[in-house]
Amino acid sequence: MDFLRHILAFNSESPLLFTQFYFWAFFALVFSLFALIMNGRSADGKSRLHLRNVYLLFVSWFFYYKTSGLFLLILAFVTLSDWIIASRIKAAISHHKPQIAKALLALSVTIDLGLLAYFKYAYFFTNMVNDLFGTGFQVFDIFAYIGNGFAEAGRFSVDTIVLPVGISFYIFQVISYTADVYRGRIQPVKNILDFGFYVSFFPQLVAGPIVRAEEFIPQLYKPYRLSRRVFGVAVFWILNGLAKKIIMSDYLAVNLIDRVFDNPLLFSGFENLFALFAYSLQVYADFSGYTDIAIGIAMLMGFYLPMNFNSPYKSQSPQEFWRRWHMSLGRWLKTYLYIPLGGNREIGFGTYFWLSLIAFVSAALTDWWWQILVPFGVFMAGVFVWNKWISQKASIERRKLLYANLNSFITQVLGGLWHGASWNFIIWGGINGIGMIVEKIWRGMNWHVRMVCISLLCGGLWLAVYYTNLPTWRLFAVWASIIWVGTTVRYVYHLCKGSDNRITNGLSTAWAVIQTFTFITFTRLFFRSSSNLDPATANEVAWATAKNMVNQIGGAWSNAIIPDFLWEYRWVVAMFVAGMVIHWLPTNWKRRYRLAFSAMPLWLMVIAVCIAIVVIYQFVTADMQPFIYFQF
Amino acid sequence: MACLAALCMVLPRRIAMGDQELRWPTLAEVLETEETIASQDSLENLGSPETPESPDSPVSTAPKDTVAPVIPKVSVDSVTDSRMFLAAFYASLAESSERVVRVVHYGDSQIEEDRMSQQIREKLQALYGGKGVGLVPLAQTIPTRSVRQELRMNGRFTAPAQGPRRYLVYGPKHDQRTDGLYGVMGQVAVMNDSLVKGSEEITAIVTPLIPTARYSHWRVFADTSVHYTFAGDTVQLSGRGAVYGLSQQSETGVIVDNIPMRGCLGLVFEKIDSAQLSTFYRRENVKLIIMQYGGNAIPFNEKPTTISAIVKGLREQVRYLQACAPEASILFIGPSDMLTQEEGEWITYPMVPYMDQLLRKMALEENIAYFSLYRWMGGAGSMLKWQEIGLAGSDGVHFTRAGARKAGNAVADWMLEGIEN
Repeated sequence: MDFLRHILAFNSESPLLFTQFYFWAFFALVFSLFALIMNGRSADGKSRLHLRNVYLLFVSWFFYYKTSGLFLLILAFVTLSDWIIASRIKAAISHHKPQIAKALLALSVTIDLGLLAYFKYAYFFTNMVNDLFGTGFQVFDIFAYIGNGFAEAGRFSVDTIVLPVGISFYIFQVISYTADVYRGRIQPVKNILDFGFYVSFFPQLVAGPIVRAEEFIPQLYKPYRLSRRVFGVAVFWILNGLAKKIIMSDYLAVNLIDRVFDNPLLFSGFENLFALFAYSLQVYADFSGYTDIAIGIAMLMGFYLPMNFNSPYKSQSPQEFWRRWHMSLGRWLKTYLYIPLGGNREIGFGTYFWLSLIAFVSAALTDWWWQILVPFGVFMAGVFVWNKWISQKASIERRKLLYANLNSFITQVLGGLWHGASWNFIIWGGINGIGMIVEKIWRGMNWHVRMVCISLLCGGLWLAVYYTNLPTWRLFAVWASIIWVGTTVRYVYHLCKGSDNRITNGLSTAWAVIQTFTFITFTRLFFRSSSNLDPATANEVAWATAKNMVNQIGGAWSNAIIPDFLWEYRWVVAMFVAGMVIHWLPTNWKRRYRLAFSAMPLWLMVIAVCIAIVVIYQFVTADMQPFIYFQF
Repeated sequence: MACLAALCMVLPRRIAMGDQELRWPTLAEVLETEETIASQDSLENLGSPETPESPDSPVSTAPKDTVAPVIPKVSVDSVTDSRMFLAAFYASLAESSERVVRVVHYGDSQIEEDRMSQQIREKLQALYGGKGVGLVPLAQTIPTRSVRQELRMNGRFTAPAQGPRRYLVYGPKHDQRTDGLYGVMGQVAVMNDSLVKGSEEITAIVTPLIPTARYSHWRVFADTSVHYTFAGDTVQLSGRGAVYGLSQQSETGVIVDNIPMRGCLGLVFEKIDSAQLSTFYRRENVKLIIMQYGGNAIPFNEKPTTISAIVKGLREQVRYLQACAPEASILFIGPSDMLTQEEGEWITYPMVPYMDQLLRKMALEENIAYFSLYRWMGGAGSMLKWQEIGLAGSDGVHFTRAGARKAGNAVADWMLEGIEN
């Protein structure tokens, strides 16, 4: 009986994770029954598909219940709410009542974002209001309160709000569905069970990819076919994901990254810098590994989920990075936020509103009122005047550049907030937005202007180092100097009218990739949060971590200990180097070995899978790297 | 999956491959439900810092199928409350209204950033008066949460690591000196050690960050060839010679110095010049020396004989300090529970309980008090619980700030209870 309860009941301490045996036992069972349904002879193709969809819906709900318990009701609620509203929207459009359709869309978005805001941002907003107005509000879990009315009193705590797993993902999915119905891009789904399946399909429910309705819903009605080749590719994705998650992510995290981020002051500048770069790889391997597994599992069941990561650290600019990183989120933000804001076509009320709000809140929380609001006010007034009276005379490219930059900055900041409810994520989004703008402006400059700008920046930073000697300035000065050297080489080559060839193109690409990777790694200083529940603590810890890491990198550097570190942490270093090398392999190579794997005879594939699992298991059970101090 | 299951049945759990070994689970291990090794349900169920390990208690946490080291039994003596050895310190507190009573807290990285010492200081100063954080080094490479420290050389802000030449008794060979003149902190900053760069004038700015760090007096412990002047939170130093520490304190009450020694086993005190130590302890009225070591021995020593040798070395250090400060009491704080990962599972290092037992035995035999962090936390596996609720870091070794606060308060309360008893 206990065994059954363990298998079936929700236990917050053992959610169904792709890296645990229990999940794979669950999936083996699910897939066996799935195969029975799809190979059954009693029903015709259409009924079989319907049966499959219903079956997978209940499997997905069970999966979510095991992962998040009674929050299943929230998932069911948004499913029902958006399904009803979307069909009403369609009816309103058919009856030529666009205002009603618009009002219904607003209602749907309000419900969805309200739920997301409540569960994910209640602490953040409460904390912000308390900071701004000196109030002492506390969060109150209304759902726990209602739950206590049905269950025995006190069963659920009303003082804490727990974040339902995957809510950020499925809320975005239902918003995309309703918005697409409103725009007429898709027809509403007639059967609520089919719609429920789309919202809660278990492989991507917890960590994406965010699947848009127009991509997924047509697949519900397509006949199921799993070719030998597709089966091989699916298995490859699953193994690839497991290897990324366990070898590149968990191993690096446990043996180096977590301990450095926990207490940067215990480590020298080089160790901090290395851990920061390794963290970049870890975040990628963790997230993309999870979605690789999701893609593989879905593929086995006949569903194609969109690619979510396309070797993002191969990007040659921050803008390209965001086209390769968490692509499903990027597409969502572009479609439902950036373009409605005006994209590169215009700036409107939304742009002014969001920028003003960002500036106001930043000023209030940093207490730098005039330092932020005066330059911001001047800038916005300039933008307004330019846009209203002067822009007509400017070239269309210039107008596009300004509009795109402002709207993409807002998108980045709000995208940052989506990742987590604390200031460090907003700072992270802001830095990414600024980085993207700066890079675009840089790209538009001619070589002489570039050279002057980087020289001035470099000189200014070294002056700051001379007068203050602060670690932050030292770090930036060294970084700027490296860019200055690279720019100078390219400038001189350009002056000498050197022609582009394979070697120079290769060097130029490598330079751009390394600079982009370095910039993205720098933003990772703000990407780590310790808590979702208490933003005050999360902010404090995240800020202290970033500050201490910068101080160590810029102030406690010691070349003498680098060889010792590289030797003592040789396995960690080897894994990092291997991870980056594999990441940077040409796409063609990766495609080739993926196809070679999928074309293997079945017996060989079984052996390969067993070997891979044995290797992965060695990393699961690897002994921990003991603590070694290099700096005293 | 069937093939993998077959592998589980066929393959042995371990296959030796040179220095490394290939591991593979048995089918039973794959199917068993996960349970944490934490032996306690809540942190309210803390153990006693004094209760010795029962000879029958299950302290071995070696993973399945491994050859657990044979740990000798340590005799359990009759002393149940080692605070009796703090009597001299307790008695000295009576004079805190007239002069300073000093507590020197030595330890490893567990007390860096003024961790634990801060709580001991707060509690003692609340009852017996006293102000300020006590000793800080001239070049503070590890910032604390109690004071902000800034260093300027010839007017320019300087990162501590780039500051004056530092010698550390617990540091690597090239950072040690042969004359033993490290001072009471076991580290010394030497001004103008090399005159290549010209004469250095140093400004140290030490700003209190918390109310209890506010002070009324500066003290500078330096060679007579070093000249200094004060202005508010700033001290200006010039000349050539060693600076052993700066102290922000009061004229009366209890002063608690936080002296962390990163990576240190605690076997370094004999390397410090005894005349320097005894002079400081006597002049500054040091009445309690807290030693918090042992943790750094754990990850790298798997044999009971090595642990035993280290404890023997620590006994020598205790005797050395007793000789340098005959009027002071000594409290030894043993290592906390410490975790490592074996076969993917967090387990307590097998040597932690043994070291804890040996340290306690040593302490009682040397007539010094002993606080077992390990036992107080709840014994084997308790660190895992601490990790889960944010009291310990992901390394399974260090406390977070919240964890250090809890542990520091526990030590302080335990000491204060001893006065009442």
